[in-house]
Amino acid sequence: MYCVKCGVKLQEGVGRCPLCQTPVWDPEPREESRSYPDTLPRQHRESDLPGAVALTVVCAIAGIVTLTVCFRLYGALRWGGYVIGALLLFYVIAVLPRWFRQPRGEVFVPIDHAATALYVLYICLKTGGHWFLSFALPVLLSSCLISTAMICLLKYVTGARLFILGGFLLLCGGFTVLVEFFEHLSFGVGMFRWSPYSLAGFGSVGLFLLIAGMIPSLRRGLEKRFFF
Amino acid sequence: MQNNWYRLDTAALIFPAITRRDWSNAFRVSACLKDEVDPALLQQAVDELRARFPSYYVTLHRGAFWYYLEQSRQPVRVRSDYAYPLTFMSSRELRRNCLRVLLYKNRVAAEFFHALTDGYGGSVYLCNLIARYLELKEGVSIPREGLIRDLGETPPEEELEDSFLKHAAEVAAGRKEASSYRLHGSREERGFKTLTTGVVETQALLDAAHRRGVTVTALLAAVMAESIIAMQNAERPRRRQRPVKITVPVDLRRLYGSRTLRNFSLVLNVGADPRYGDYTLEELCRSIYHQLCASATPQNMAGMIAANVQPQQLMPLRIAPVFVKNLVMDAVYRRSGESGGSLNISNLTSLPLPEAMCRRIERMEFIIGPQRSYPNNCSVLSFGGRTYINMIRNIRESELERRFFSRLVELGIAVEIECNRS
Repeated sequence: MYCVKCGVKLQEGVGRCPLCQTPVWDPEPREESRSYPDTLPRQHRESDLPGAVALTVVCAIAGIVTLTVCFRLYGALRWGGYVIGALLLFYVIAVLPRWFRQPRGEVFVPIDHAATALYVLYICLKTGGHWFLSFALPVLLSSCLISTAMICLLKYVTGARLFILGGFLLLCGGFTVLVEFFEHLSFGVGMFRWSPYSLAGFGSVGLFLLIAGMIPSLRRGLEKRFFF
Repeated sequence: MQNNWYRLDTAALIFPAITRRDWSNAFRVSACLKDEVDPALLQQAVDELRARFPSYYVTLHRGAFWYYLEQSRQPVRVRSDYAYPLTFMSSRELRRNCLRVLLYKNRVAAEFFHALTDGYGGSVYLCNLIARYLELKEGVSIPREGLIRDLGETPPEEELEDSFLKHAAEVAAGRKEASSYRLHGSREERGFKTLTTGVVETQALLDAAHRRGVTVTALLAAVMAESIIAMQNAERPRRRQRPVKITVPVDLRRLYGSRTLRNFSLVLNVGADPRYGDYTLEELCRSIYHQLCASATPQNMAGMIAANVQPQQLMPLRIAPVFVKNLVMDAVYRRSGESGGSLNISNLTSLPLPEAMCRRIERMEFIIGPQRSYPNNCSVLSFGGRTYINMIRNIRESELERRFFSRLVELGIAVEIECNRS
């Protein structure tokens, strides 16, 4: 059997030319002789254990130094609480995933948001503020929902990346309006001071991506120029 | 060898440093026997080769200042082959063994992490493995000639030496090279590698090369360069084009008479710059052939060896911790390692084997994996009057393969295509 387009001889039983994908017509179809089995290797990513250990040690040393300095100087935690909180937050966001071979974004993003909420709650209580429930919590919840949804869609839905990214950018634009709304409710500042600009920016790029997703030639042109 | 561990040879130093979480530099040599292979006897042969080829039964470890290889305590197990060759070698696997022996029907394949050896060393190992297997299976005596070694003898020191250190010039050659055109495409999922094998009559290939007064490697490199130039022409205007360079490894054992079984090859980048005008295939053949002849001289190679040897002898670099070296070597590799070439063509030519073995082997192949930054690679091996041109890629597009093999057909060379993807 020969490929009519490339002129190369093909293996018995193949349905298409492996080079140009031209279909092959065989008057006497035969079973394809496979040169490789179907077994795929088990996919695994490597955990970054040395990095995780090193960063854990660095965080622990920084925490111990902070506690020692605060208790020696003031006999109380004082500003050390903020530092310890920031260290814990850094640890949860940057170090914790390194302990895992396959850290899942859809699990770690909510964990990161929860850790951030706890740290912000600590600051709110420490400074005697009343803005956690009216501002920080709704903002963090919205951010958590949007980013987790985006990660899940990118991971589990194939072939609609431009639509997902476009939708995500539109949601980001809406999120900035929401942030300003909660800011208005909590702190009594004026509405629509800066969010319309970010909404316009995110919205226009998001809409462009949605349109590009619908026009194949534009999509191919974008892929050619921006592949990485 | 010091006790049960080895320093990496000069060429191997770079490989652990440039390994990524989804890419490692490896290659495969395989042989298809005429009869189905008995896994138990093959395992016995693998175990028996350990004493003769100790430098292949090793694990990779990170020292404070350099990586090193240590004798593996675990046996190399014969495993079933996968849907594609050269699956990723993780650092966890490299800490167990840097060598794989894979079996599928009548095909025995050995895959090596490149820090152990190069294509020549790999083929010596595989041929000895097949020879020992045939002795166990069929009770035949394979003469110790060509690549076949005496398994009873102690491995001579010269097989384990770092020959680069012996042959470096006093002055290093410059590394500077214009960056070449980069092939690209949409990456395959799960690291799948598509292998397209073009099987051609060796005599037809030799005739086509000799008609043009060049070698087979120069002819294949010229056809490849022509295909890549055509792809670049279709993609961008001439003034924005880049040189098209083919990276051709040169076996330095032939130049310096070394017997080492560790890495002892260097690469040359040969090709043409399409910005200066169009080239016919004949012009490309002549140009590439003369570039290869002019560069692959003992003196020039000694200068290139020195460029690799001298930096590793600098005291500040020697005492730098291994993670600092990794950063430096990674940066050097990105700047000058792969940027000078668009694709590799590694030609092992034909392997000198005893007649008793050739009768029992159907075919032999040599496969190098895709590089870190370019998605296609090509490797060539001749056996039994046929040449197996293996083109591997980790992208979906088969445009380069189509252009390359169709061009060979146009030159009057009949090509039979096989692919691991249906």
